[in-house]
Amino acid sequence: MPSASSTRTGFDTALLGIKGLALVAAGVLVLAFPQLAPDAFILSVGVVIASYAALAVSWNFVGGFTGYISLGHAAYSGLGGYGTALLILEAGWNPWLSLVGSAVAVGVLALPIGFASLRVRGASFVIVSIALVLILLLVSQSWSDVTGGSNGLRVPRPFGEDVLRPEQHERFFYLHVGLIVIALAVWWAIDRSRFGTGLKAIREDEDKAQALGVPTFAYKLTVFVISAFFTALAGGMYALWFGSLDPIFQFSILVGSYMVLMSLLGGIRSLLGPVVGAVIVGYSLEYFKSAYGDTQFHLVALGLLLALVVLFMPDGVLPALGSLVDRIRPDKATSIREMTAAELVEKNKEIDEARREPEEVSR
Amino acid sequence: MSGSLLLQSVILGLLLGGLYALLAAGLTLYFGVMRVVMIAHSAFLILAAYLAWWFQRETGLDPLLSLVVTVPLFFVVGFVMQRLLLARLRPATLTMMSVLLTFAIALTIEGLLGYVFSGTQRRIQLDYSGSSLEVFGANIAVVKLIAFGLAAVALLGLWALMKLTRFGQALRATIQHPEAARLLGINTDRIAGFGFGLGLATAAIGGTALSLDSTIYPSLHWHWIGPLMAIIVIGGLGSIPGAAIAAMLLGVSQSLLQVPLGTTWAQTVFYIALFATLMVRPQGFFGGRLAQRF
Repeated sequence: MPSASSTRTGFDTALLGIKGLALVAAGVLVLAFPQLAPDAFILSVGVVIASYAALAVSWNFVGGFTGYISLGHAAYSGLGGYGTALLILEAGWNPWLSLVGSAVAVGVLALPIGFASLRVRGASFVIVSIALVLILLLVSQSWSDVTGGSNGLRVPRPFGEDVLRPEQHERFFYLHVGLIVIALAVWWAIDRSRFGTGLKAIREDEDKAQALGVPTFAYKLTVFVISAFFTALAGGMYALWFGSLDPIFQFSILVGSYMVLMSLLGGIRSLLGPVVGAVIVGYSLEYFKSAYGDTQFHLVALGLLLALVVLFMPDGVLPALGSLVDRIRPDKATSIREMTAAELVEKNKEIDEARREPEEVSR
Repeated sequence: MSGSLLLQSVILGLLLGGLYALLAAGLTLYFGVMRVVMIAHSAFLILAAYLAWWFQRETGLDPLLSLVVTVPLFFVVGFVMQRLLLARLRPATLTMMSVLLTFAIALTIEGLLGYVFSGTQRRIQLDYSGSSLEVFGANIAVVKLIAFGLAAVALLGLWALMKLTRFGQALRATIQHPEAARLLGINTDRIAGFGFGLGLATAAIGGTALSLDSTIYPSLHWHWIGPLMAIIVIGGLGSIPGAAIAAMLLGVSQSLLQVPLGTTWAQTVFYIALFATLMVRPQGFFGGRLAQRF
């Protein structure tokens, strides 16, 4: 990455300005959404999309950093939801304490699961992640004393009866946004840390990373647990909002695939990619469901969308936009190199000088 | 558990294991030729079962006759799918992206089945649906025997094709070492396509066998893909004998556990075995060290 101060051109400054403005505008729009929404239904769609975004960002801790694609993250969101409900109902805990408690429990549970599943890579890992959801679906359907079986489980509302539905939607929308912001902050912090660099080395070439001394297994396991924790928080938050749990929807491979699709579509390597993907996919899902109603056609639409993304845009929307910007960039329009040879010599000189200075000081 | 019940469970388990073995062999073929895990395999299985059911409803003929159409059809679909879709993916991320792409195909098939045939549960009614044979006090339904026979013949045919023909030799060479196979003048791209077609043909046979004695509905494929995936990982990705042995063992275990635990809990045996295998031998019991990397 070229150092910012020496190579930044007017174009870059303008681009940064545009990005900043877009970010601020998007932030304002998100915060003002409950006031702008014309009715309670649109508001509830907003909460659903925010919930998808929280799930996708949580998924992206594993998917984005290590490149391990888990199709079974619904396991953790489902467990988070059931854990929250059971802690409220059986242990009589405060709803918010239950939410955090169940997320911590899921994080602890993710340790042995991660220990087993992270021993394999690629396709085997995907298979194991799918198997996990299928196991939990079977268990939650059969073990009806605890989970309510196929009848589902009612989750008590955290706000009193006097808080009306639109008001509930609004509060949960902000709660979800808060969760997303926290998860994004953690992702950003990891991205810039040594830990994050090690994880990205695993993504690029796990064997080489290991040979270079990166403790690959410990790193993978840590980020896996973090991801499970946030996914469980998002799942529990959704359960508190939605108010009822059904095994088929909680432990569904579809939900897990939504997370993958959203992150891939937005771009798994970028901070905001999963959020952008969640908005696009979440909106289209709701649109498909309302357009095709009871028929299974929304599955076809989802399948085709996923196939198109995988075939033609595997890096995501945000990187695709980035390369589009690069094409109109005035100074780099013709060269695929990041900088010209002359610039490189200049830069190396600068680096050499920078290195020499501290030596002189120490002498 | 009485002796005859035990015997019946073991026989039913073996019969079921035969079907699992055929389908797992198909999955192993895809993996062998392209290092692809084909999530849509069981969706095609259900599609074939629906086609058999639809064929029987429309013509009144035996559903087994639908094989004449579905097997070649699925072979061509598999070939086209490999050439047009999977071969387009970037080699660097092929394994991951192929999972997602085949997952997308599975969703599309499930959605289309639900759209065309509705979500209603379907079942083929035949004159011999209810008849059964009695062996040492164990009742074995005739349809299950036919399904097993179909799977066994198909597996044997596949084995003969792989071992005895020139095409099989080329296919095995492509699986073992694609570059060396290319140097010997084998058109590995086309062979990979044919390998895919063969794999999908096993789904056509398996689906027809399945339609004989089970109730089918569009989302049924999720109940099949989990056990099948577990089987190929336990057997070792890429190993057909490993997959067949794991299929038989797990089929029998599932069938035995069904008696005390019920069908739902018995299914978890696949996943418990899967996690146990990962703990003890992540590359599976018959796969080489290579299998762990996929």
